[in-house]
Amino acid sequence: MPPHEQDTRTTGSDETPIEPGGGRNGLSLGLPWGLAPGHAATIAAGILLGIAVRAVGLPDTWELFGTSGDVLTTPVALLIALGTISVTGAVTARSPWRVVDLVVAAVIGVAGGLFLWGIATSWNALTTPLSFYPPASAGLAGLWLVPGVLGGLILRRPGAALFCELMAAVLEAVLGNQWGFSTVYYGVVEGLGAEFVLALLLYRGFGLLPAMLSGAGAGVSLALLDLAIWYPTFSASYRTAYIGLAILSGAVIAGVGSWALTRALARVGVLAPLASGAAAERV
Amino acid sequence: MRGDPLRFGPGIDPAAPLARANPAAKLAVSLVLSVALLLTVDVVTAGTALVLEIAALPWCGLSPGALARRAWVLPAGAVPAAWAAAFLGTDSGATLLVLGPLTLTEGSAQAGAAVALRILAVGLPGVVLLSTTDPTALADSLAQNLHLPHRFVLAGLAGLSMFGILAEEGQTLRLARRARGLGGGGPLSRLRSLFGVVFALLVVSLRRATVLATAMEARGFGASPHRTWARPSPFTRSDTAFCLGGLALALLATAAGTATGSWHMVLS
Repeated sequence: MPPHEQDTRTTGSDETPIEPGGGRNGLSLGLPWGLAPGHAATIAAGILLGIAVRAVGLPDTWELFGTSGDVLTTPVALLIALGTISVTGAVTARSPWRVVDLVVAAVIGVAGGLFLWGIATSWNALTTPLSFYPPASAGLAGLWLVPGVLGGLILRRPGAALFCELMAAVLEAVLGNQWGFSTVYYGVVEGLGAEFVLALLLYRGFGLLPAMLSGAGAGVSLALLDLAIWYPTFSASYRTAYIGLAILSGAVIAGVGSWALTRALARVGVLAPLASGAAAERV
Repeated sequence: MRGDPLRFGPGIDPAAPLARANPAAKLAVSLVLSVALLLTVDVVTAGTALVLEIAALPWCGLSPGALARRAWVLPAGAVPAAWAAAFLGTDSGATLLVLGPLTLTEGSAQAGAAVALRILAVGLPGVVLLSTTDPTALADSLAQNLHLPHRFVLAGLAGLSMFGILAEEGQTLRLARRARGLGGGGPLSRLRSLFGVVFALLVVSLRRATVLATAMEARGFGASPHRTWARPSPFTRSDTAFCLGGLALALLATAAGTATGSWHMVLS
C-alpha cells in the first residue's frame, strides 16, 4: 500500500488536537502535550522524588520479604517516578468514556476472547515443536497480548487496554481452557502491562513505537507471571531467555500486529466514531 | 465454530445446588482455590484438593458427558507439562529411566506428578463453575454484588450478546468467499483466506457495535450514574456457605500439604 500523507498521520504521537492549557483554569502557558501546569508539576515532583530516593538510597536495615532496602533502592525509585507519570497520565487524559467507546471495547474483548480461545485450544500443538528448548514457547507469547494492545490503540482511553484484555481473558476462561480461573489473572496482569506503557506516554502516543512498547510492556508482565506460576524451576539463563523472547514477541506480534490492524480498520472507516478514527480521518 | 458455547449445552443443569449459587460466590471460590493451589507445587496439596473437588462434582450440575466436553483441555495441558517437568526438569534422587538425553529421576518424576496434579486441581473448579454460569447473571452479580462500574459491566454484556450473531456472520462470510472462488488451495492461501474472514468479521462487529451504542444511548444508557435493576441478584446464606466451603477446601488441602511437609512455596 502506497504511503501517503493521511496514513502517516496515524503514526504520529501527537495527532489529537490539543486545547492550549488543557486544564479547567484555562491558563495557557504553552506546555507541551496540552498538560496543565499542575499536572506537569506533579510529574516533575514524581521524577525528582524518584531521583532523590535513588541518590539517598534506602536503609539496609529495612527489609521486605528478606530483601534488604539497599538492593531495592533502584526499583523503588523507578516505581515512584514511573508510577507518578502513569497515574498523572491516566488522570489528565482528556477523554471520558462514551457509550460507543464502551460497546466497541466490549466487542473487541469478545472478538479477542474468541481469538485467545482459539490460541488456547491449539497452544499444545503450537508449542510442542518448540519443547526442545523450554523458554522457546515465549516466542509465541505475543499472541496472548493482542486484544489489550489493540483495544488501547483503537480506543485511546485510560483503562481500554486493561478492559479489552480482561474481557478477552474472562471469555476465554468461560469458553473453557486448560488454565481455568488463572486465565483471569493473566488478563489483569497483561492488560496492566500494556496499559502502564500507554499511561507512561500520558495517553498521547499511539503510533508504531508506542504500540511496540506497549506490547513489550505486556510481554514483561506476562513473562514474570509465567515464571512465577508455571516455571518456578527454570534456571537463570532460561529465565532471561524467557523474558527476552516474551518482550520481543510482545513488541512484534502484539505491537506491530495491533498497529497494522488498527491502520487497516481505520482505512475501512469503521473507527470513524472513535478517537483513533478521528485522528486518521482523510481530509 | 460449534454452536454457541455461551448457551448451556446438553447435560448442564443450572438448578443443581452449586450451579445455582450467586456468580459472585462462584468467583470467590474459584479465586480462593486457584490462589491456594498456585502458591505451591507439591503432590499432596494438589492431590488433596483434586480429590475434594471431584467429591463435590455431583452437586455441580454437570453430567459426565458435559464434563468431558468441557474439561478435556485439562489433561491435554497437564500431560505435556508433566512430561516436560519429568524429563527436562532439574534432576535429583535415584535415576529411574534414561532415554538418550532424557533422564527420569525420583525428584523429577515427583515434580512431574506435582505439576500435572496442580494443573488439574487449578483448572477443574474454573471449568465447572464457569460452565454453569449464565453471562447475564454474572453481569448482574458483578454490578450489584461486587459494585463494579455498571456502565462497563453492562456494555460488556451487550458485547457478549453479539457472540451468536458473529458466529452466523462468519459462516455467511465464508460462504460468500467460497462463492467467489477464494479460500481453496494450499495451506498458505487458506491461511490468507482465514485472515480475510477474521478481518471482515472484525469490521462487521465494529460496525454493529457502533449501531448498538447509538441505540443504547438513544434509550438513555449511561445517562445517570444511578440505575435500577430488572433482575435482582441476591447474595443469600447458602452463597455464604458455599464461599466458606471453598475456603475450607483450600485450607484443608494446604493443611494436608504442610502437615506432610511437602508444601513448597513457589517463589522461594
